[in-house]
Amino acid sequence: MNTARIVIQDLRFAYHESEEVIKGINLSFNRSATALIGENGSGKTTFVKLLKGLLRPISGSIYINGYNTATTTVAKLAKYIGLVFQNPNDQLFKQTLIDEVMFGPLNIGQPILQAKASAEKALEMVGLSNSKLIHPYDLGLSDRKLVCIAAVLAMDTDIIILDEPTIAQDYLGKEKIKQIIKELRDQGKLVIAITHDMDFGAETFERIIVFHDGHVLLDDDTKTVFKEHDLLKEFHLELPHITQLGRKFNFPEPLLTVDAFVDHIKNRNHQKPSYPL
Amino acid sequence: MVIYMGPMGLYQSNNSILEKLNPITKLLYIITVIALSIIIPAPQMNLACLLASVTLLIIGRVFWRLIPFIGINITVLISIIVIQGLFMAGNKTLWFQIGSLRFYQEGLCYALNLCLRVFNILCAFAILLLTTKPSDLIESLVEKGLSPKLGYLLCAVLLIIPQLVAAMERVMDSQRSRGLETEGNMAVRIKAYLPLIVPVVLSSLINIKEQSMALEVRGFSSDLKKIFLNQQFSPFYEILIQIGLLTTITLALLRRLFLWLS
Repeated sequence: MNTARIVIQDLRFAYHESEEVIKGINLSFNRSATALIGENGSGKTTFVKLLKGLLRPISGSIYINGYNTATTTVAKLAKYIGLVFQNPNDQLFKQTLIDEVMFGPLNIGQPILQAKASAEKALEMVGLSNSKLIHPYDLGLSDRKLVCIAAVLAMDTDIIILDEPTIAQDYLGKEKIKQIIKELRDQGKLVIAITHDMDFGAETFERIIVFHDGHVLLDDDTKTVFKEHDLLKEFHLELPHITQLGRKFNFPEPLLTVDAFVDHIKNRNHQKPSYPL
Repeated sequence: MVIYMGPMGLYQSNNSILEKLNPITKLLYIITVIALSIIIPAPQMNLACLLASVTLLIIGRVFWRLIPFIGINITVLISIIVIQGLFMAGNKTLWFQIGSLRFYQEGLCYALNLCLRVFNILCAFAILLLTTKPSDLIESLVEKGLSPKLGYLLCAVLLIIPQLVAAMERVMDSQRSRGLETEGNMAVRIKAYLPLIVPVVLSSLINIKEQSMALEVRGFSSDLKKIFLNQQFSPFYEILIQIGLLTTITLALLRRLFLWLS
């Protein structure tokens, strides 16, 4: 028996009978922070909705902490798996941030004091603890997205899925999200995110799964995936910018962060002082 | 997104002859039917118009789609028949009796004529609504001189239902993800009402604001004369139909006038 947090066996799904969107996926997730990448329409969002139990597979099965999503209600699964949607306007409805963020914890049965404490902690994590009495719609779009992230963090689920978290975020916002994901991973939680931002993906995640047309094209650690330059290009996916630069210099290994790039150059210069840069 | 698939989406393309007619002609048909039933209130007239409409609906291959709407109306109509048959002020001639309930001829005749008229108008409107794409109807009205602002308003009313349905689905997903139970007994459903309705309303308000800005930047309120993407060219036979319908109304009016004067 596979004891991973999420086990997916031969998963298939279709919105309309004639058109399969997910065409047989086998995966398991345990701890590694994972990015899902792939072109638009490759099935990423459908896949995470299936994980969350919002859609039911037409065949195959998904187990979340041992619960089959096909036979467990979404509200019950909400204790174990949290999903942050792309558009914050689809969920904000309370008068103040703190009430909004407490909504989820209260729903899954946290007592009111605990819910308040976890909401405050979550708002602190996204850097909005000073605005907890503000109306959510008085915030800009990027902050509203952070409120939605806090709303899921406060539920203290084992698994957290983020659908395109970096859209509409400036540099600081992105850094904040990166920081949150790292903290969650250090707490032993499983973080999965859909992203089109390869730089963000390379810097933040340990594992990358590439979707194409309802199949898993690649599934490996970040470095190995970004080695497959030609395959990624064929499916209209770019490398992180720093990795592209490394390739131009014919570095043997793909480099994922600016720091790694600088270290690599320093080491090389150290070995060969005449390196032309 | 398929816009006309929602519960309010009456129109479904089926390439029938009626679908190819100019919406104005169909609108004129409705006006004729209503005018005739007012000018000549005899049941024979209503029956003739009803037969004409039903024939057209069958030709347009949409008759069977009318049946659910008849079903909705039938309960109201039955109650009219019962109440008028029992209690209408001019009731004199007893027709039949069920237990102690006495049904009178005058009331029943009046009620049946009323039902005939309702079906008549229903069928006439069905010809327009079941075979015309709403945006085509509005475009041809604007072409005939309806204010584009009013046209947009009408269009928005037709589009908003499917849009709200889509928004409702998204909001439902979001809130269920946060552990909100949406299925179960009455108390559960009432509790779920606010978390579902507030985001739908607020996000539609935000959409309206953005839509109106998007329209303005494309010169929606410009006073210049506008041209139309789909120019309507009425073929000769269509003009004949329109003239025929107008003549029918005129003749009926003349007849009524003549009877009144003599």
